[in-house]
Amino acid sequence: MLESKAVTKLFGAKTAVDHISLKLEKGHVYAMLGPNGSGKTTWMKMAAGLIKPTSGEVRFLDVPVNIDSRRHVAYMSTEPYFYAWMTVKDVGKYYSDFFQDFSYSRYQDLLRRMELTEDMKTRSLSSGMMAKLKIAVTMARDAQVYMLDEPFNGIDLLARDEIRACILEYATEDKLLLLSSHLVEEMEAIADRAVFIRQGQLVECVDLEEMRGEKGVSMADRYREIYAHTEG
Amino acid sequence: MKHLMKYEFRKTLIAKLIILGTTAVLEILFLIGLYTKHDSLAGYSTIMLTMLAFGGVLFIGLQSVMTLHRDMNTKQSYMLFMTPNSSYKILGAKVLENGLSILMAGTFFFALGMLDISLALAKFGRLDELRKFFQDLVSAFNENIQLDAPSLASLTFSLLAAWIATVTAAFLADVISAALLNGKRFNGVVTFLLFLVFNFCCAWVQNKATASIASYQTTFLVQGAIALAFSVLMYFVTARIMEDKLSV
Repeated sequence: MLESKAVTKLFGAKTAVDHISLKLEKGHVYAMLGPNGSGKTTWMKMAAGLIKPTSGEVRFLDVPVNIDSRRHVAYMSTEPYFYAWMTVKDVGKYYSDFFQDFSYSRYQDLLRRMELTEDMKTRSLSSGMMAKLKIAVTMARDAQVYMLDEPFNGIDLLARDEIRACILEYATEDKLLLLSSHLVEEMEAIADRAVFIRQGQLVECVDLEEMRGEKGVSMADRYREIYAHTEG
Repeated sequence: MKHLMKYEFRKTLIAKLIILGTTAVLEILFLIGLYTKHDSLAGYSTIMLTMLAFGGVLFIGLQSVMTLHRDMNTKQSYMLFMTPNSSYKILGAKVLENGLSILMAGTFFFALGMLDISLALAKFGRLDELRKFFQDLVSAFNENIQLDAPSLASLTFSLLAAWIATVTAAFLADVISAALLNGKRFNGVVTFLLFLVFNFCCAWVQNKATASIASYQTTFLVQGAIALAFSVLMYFVTARIMEDKLSV
């Protein structure tokens, strides 16, 4: 469904993503893992069509990502990005204006579950509330691909449970979910596949069930194996 | 496209409301001064209204350049560029909204100016005397310019079109800065020089095209038309660069 073909991104002399080739299939929840600066966010932004690769290409349904693919790919950035003048209601209307797959009633339901109200001003939201709003507005779309960059950042434990439940509701046969997070244990409960990235390069893409069954290794264990010496 | 234009308008709404509100206050002061024979109040408010008319139109253009800059260089860029709209549509909405805002604001201030002049002339009953005074004033700069409504309208059109061309040239320079020169040394200086070059090119074509035209009214109209054509050209070049090269 989503394929990365030798994708490279340079920022000046720095290589953010280095020849990543990868195939992500629908019906799975992928955890994209790696320390800060490993290239996860840059790769996601290229898949969302926000950043142009220096070389290589990301393909959605066998076509390079383009304007049309944005209709079917829901991307949630880790940084807040709403206009300062917006209320929570304005954010929903904005998405409703631009995305045909956006359901306002689903958005309202998610807001209620996240304990947000439509009259709240986005500029007054705490970082945790902002994170919840980003999740609500992204998951209110009926997209084919969801890419959530650090969805649990700044969110308390109880809200995380609610978010995890929302995400799992959407993990159906015809959808692809890709989540990046530093909270490896948190991701272990959601994802069934993991993509490990280190210094802009793909280390491996594994099926977690197989890894646990064949090697007796959890995602957290594997994370430690791969990154221990890098981060240390 | 209409949704994009709606949000472009919304982004600049507060500044427009401030300009409109200030204009209303100054107009009321002008009318009070005019009809209560407080000449100084009418005089000061006239000066302020004139400054606001020029400043307001200039600011609307400048604000659109600042908005485009923010839309490319801050995280709010995702709001625009994650939507299923091409760069041609995104930029087109900006150029159209801004061009229409400038034209509408210019037309509004022109009409208000005409109205206020008419009210003042009717009040003082010295129509011919005042008209001659202004005509002499304008003739001091150029004796061929006639102070009549068609000439003033064509001059206003020419000035507004020139300002729209300047704003689109700023759009192009800013997009080149964000898409092609980002992170490079002397980015700011090169961008500013490019902006000057684009404007110089437009002025050069305008001068060449109008060199043999005697009528000032026709000259203003041709200059305005060239400025608008230049804006369209700038738009296509800018959108193409955004589509092919811009990362946000």
